[in-house]
Amino acid sequence: MNDQESSTTATETPSGDTATDAVVAAAAAGSDERLAYRSVFQRLFVRPEVGGLIGAAGIWVFFWAVSETFGTVGQTFTWLDTAATLGIMAVAVSMLMIGGEFDLSSGAMTGAMGMSIIFLVKETSELGGLGFPLLIAIPLSLFVALGIGWLNGFMVERTGQPSFIITLATFFALIGLKLGLSKRFVGQIQIGRTDEASDFDFFQPIFAAEWARNGHVFELRDLFYISLFAAGVVLTLLSVCELWFKHADKKNPAGLTEFIGGLGLGIAAGIGLHITDGVGANTAIAAVMAVAVFLGIHGWVSWRYEPVTDRGSIVLDERMRRQLGTGLGLVMLAAVVALVIDSSSSHEFFFPFTTQGIRVILFVLLAAAGMALLAMASQAALSASPATKGAVTSVLALAVGIIAALTFLDSEASKFRASMFSVLLFAAIVVLVWGFVASRFVERRIKSDSADRLGGRMMVLGIVTIFIGLAFRMMFITEAELLAEVPPAKTSIRLFWFVLFTVTMMWVLARTRFGSWTIAVGGNKEAARQVGVPVARTKTQLFMLVSASAWFVGLLVAFRINSIQSNAGDGQEFFYIIAAVVGGTLLTGGYGTTFGGAIGACIMSMPLAGISAARWNTDWRFLIIGMFLGFAVVSNKYIRNQAEAIRR
Amino acid sequence: MPKQPLLKLENISKFYGSITALSGVTTEVAESEVTCVLGDNGAGKSTLIKILAGVHQQTEGTIHFDGSEVMFDSPRDALGHGIATVYQDLAMVPMMSVWRNFFLGSEPTKSFGPLKWIDTKEAKQICKDEMAKMGIDIRDTEQPVGTLSGGERQSVAIARAGYFGAKLLILDEPTSALGVKQSGVVLRRIVEAREQGLAVIFITHNPSHAFPVGNRFLILNRGHSMGSFAKDEIDVNDLTRLMSGGAELEALHHELRNMDTKIDG
Repeated sequence: MNDQESSTTATETPSGDTATDAVVAAAAAGSDERLAYRSVFQRLFVRPEVGGLIGAAGIWVFFWAVSETFGTVGQTFTWLDTAATLGIMAVAVSMLMIGGEFDLSSGAMTGAMGMSIIFLVKETSELGGLGFPLLIAIPLSLFVALGIGWLNGFMVERTGQPSFIITLATFFALIGLKLGLSKRFVGQIQIGRTDEASDFDFFQPIFAAEWARNGHVFELRDLFYISLFAAGVVLTLLSVCELWFKHADKKNPAGLTEFIGGLGLGIAAGIGLHITDGVGANTAIAAVMAVAVFLGIHGWVSWRYEPVTDRGSIVLDERMRRQLGTGLGLVMLAAVVALVIDSSSSHEFFFPFTTQGIRVILFVLLAAAGMALLAMASQAALSASPATKGAVTSVLALAVGIIAALTFLDSEASKFRASMFSVLLFAAIVVLVWGFVASRFVERRIKSDSADRLGGRMMVLGIVTIFIGLAFRMMFITEAELLAEVPPAKTSIRLFWFVLFTVTMMWVLARTRFGSWTIAVGGNKEAARQVGVPVARTKTQLFMLVSASAWFVGLLVAFRINSIQSNAGDGQEFFYIIAAVVGGTLLTGGYGTTFGGAIGACIMSMPLAGISAARWNTDWRFLIIGMFLGFAVVSNKYIRNQAEAIRR
Repeated sequence: MPKQPLLKLENISKFYGSITALSGVTTEVAESEVTCVLGDNGAGKSTLIKILAGVHQQTEGTIHFDGSEVMFDSPRDALGHGIATVYQDLAMVPMMSVWRNFFLGSEPTKSFGPLKWIDTKEAKQICKDEMAKMGIDIRDTEQPVGTLSGGERQSVAIARAGYFGAKLLILDEPTSALGVKQSGVVLRRIVEAREQGLAVIFITHNPSHAFPVGNRFLILNRGHSMGSFAKDEIDVNDLTRLMSGGAELEALHHELRNMDTKIDG
């Protein structure tokens, strides 16, 4: 990526002749010379939620690599289930924060709303019972929730005080009410039970249905899943090509053949990966898949896009030669360390003063230094000839491959090594593809509307397809998966509500007047008022949205565990706010997405499940979560700064 | 002038408690005319605009708009009558895209049953077309307004006002934060708006910007009207003198000359 950036800036800084050329070229292409071309990744990174998405992927890979069970369906549902309730609130809170306000009462409100349902349906208590059916109790408690939300909004608007303070008051009031009322009603701090309601059986499936399915061993669904997944991956990759390269006038048929070969290989590998459980087989297939990706991209690109006029010859200057030599030497030294020092002495992997520890440290240091030097050489090579670039990145890819093989050499933690191997090997292939493509094909320097539109649509389609495939896979769980030692996999209806709510709110924010007004009141309240946006109404509606979501989450909890602790949900509001911020929403309002909030919720819940899956001491979980969050926020901020710098 | 005035202000006054922000202001604006409101800082220009835009209500005096007496309760009310105001701070949300800002508060919608959503495609197209009419080829309507230059932002605001059927366009110090060239662009937009038949109120503290485009000049000083003049009744120097309260500036002039002599001596 650095290659990409440096090449873009180098060629496009409008100065002297270059600028004139750019103007002429742009005029010829019928587009706007003021628009500097932004590469695919630059364009992706300006989306606020991308930082969070990358963080989520990183955390997932991390726990997948360090634990035996994290990637399984069962574990996936464990953290998705946590993410669902957190996420519904995080999405609503994201909306509110985009609108420039906070709601500190949202956590306590979830518990309060769950409790209000139980109060309403209880038939006996110390004060007698109301004994309402749920049909009445549910709308009634929604009414209460909306009332509290309205009150929050009204107070904030009327007093002009920060919502931080106003909702803090609501927060304490709710805590007090919850404890006081539950003691008064049932004489203890826990109040049950939801199923006392006469129509409990009717509503239970809506809020708390769970499925653990099914008994089949094969698996039409697997075929479906694999083909959808493969199609999605292919579409996404192709979209990158469309967005990245310039079209050729004449297409190269050999490339198409190669692409089809790569696709076939990829699908075969996918099927293989799905039917095997062995670590070795997994690794082999991962390698095959990586080769398939390479073939696919290279074939497609050579079919549709034109080669650069002249590839030139390999020219290495003194500095590059030195970097290459030293880099390769270091990698070789790392290989020697890995091979020569006795590896069987100890399992104390991380202890620095054992033979094994020294070996690991030496190996990592040498390999990292070597690769860094090679990467520097590869970046420098881009300004030389395309052929040089191709050659140097091939060397880099080779080095990554060697390191990958070395990590796989001796394997106690088989899953860990195997996955590290796959990841590194995949990285090697990516490096190779990138070097090859950069050396042979011209990058698109000028904005092309049709290609952008096509690429954008392909990407959306690809990602949607992948998700449909994954969802399909998850809905139907095999017997083997149920019998495994991991917690039984259950799909719960919470997930459905979570996805539905997130998608709805994404649409609301992006496509409705309310969404536009939300961004406006958070971004510049006075400006919004001046052009006729009803500011107070919009903000109050946002507070009501949050409290209605809290009501819904309260229902989910009340139906799942059938009773509510009086302190349920207290303190959760900070998790909602953090999830929103991790997902790219600005603390000061006016910028962000609801999808980011959903991603943030996943980032928060993954470490919890991951830590127990990795069999780490769970006492440390908050420390680890804190570290992850710190990292996520910082990297998010960094990515956003980079993106903004490019955008200007 | 033969034209029937579109807006007529008579003896407008505004008091905030014991403070007089504006007293006894009388002027008029006709269609296809520009009335410039001139005044130094604190002269009451902003108060006058806020009254016309419906943000505040006048304490005394009457406003006649389009033949009938009116009183604006809210910005929405004023907008509904066809009075569009382009504020000094531009009333824009910097992090929002150009087209969202263009349509903010009046988004075109499509609907299906109870569902209603913004017709983004049409909105973007209209935004691009309207900007093109102003002579600005907007690069990408999705880009945040914050990335536009000052002159372009003014143009978005003026184009927005024109598109939403404003009869009277109020511009609050549109040139104060701009460079020489961009000020020229904005002045040209004002003339274009006038040519399209809009009545324009142009607030500024720069007489050399006001004089070339204005048909009528209202001069304010410390909340009081120093008079409302047609173009043929006044010249740039008079404008400057009246704005500063005449004598004060002469004193300053004198003082500066003394300083010069001292330095020279």
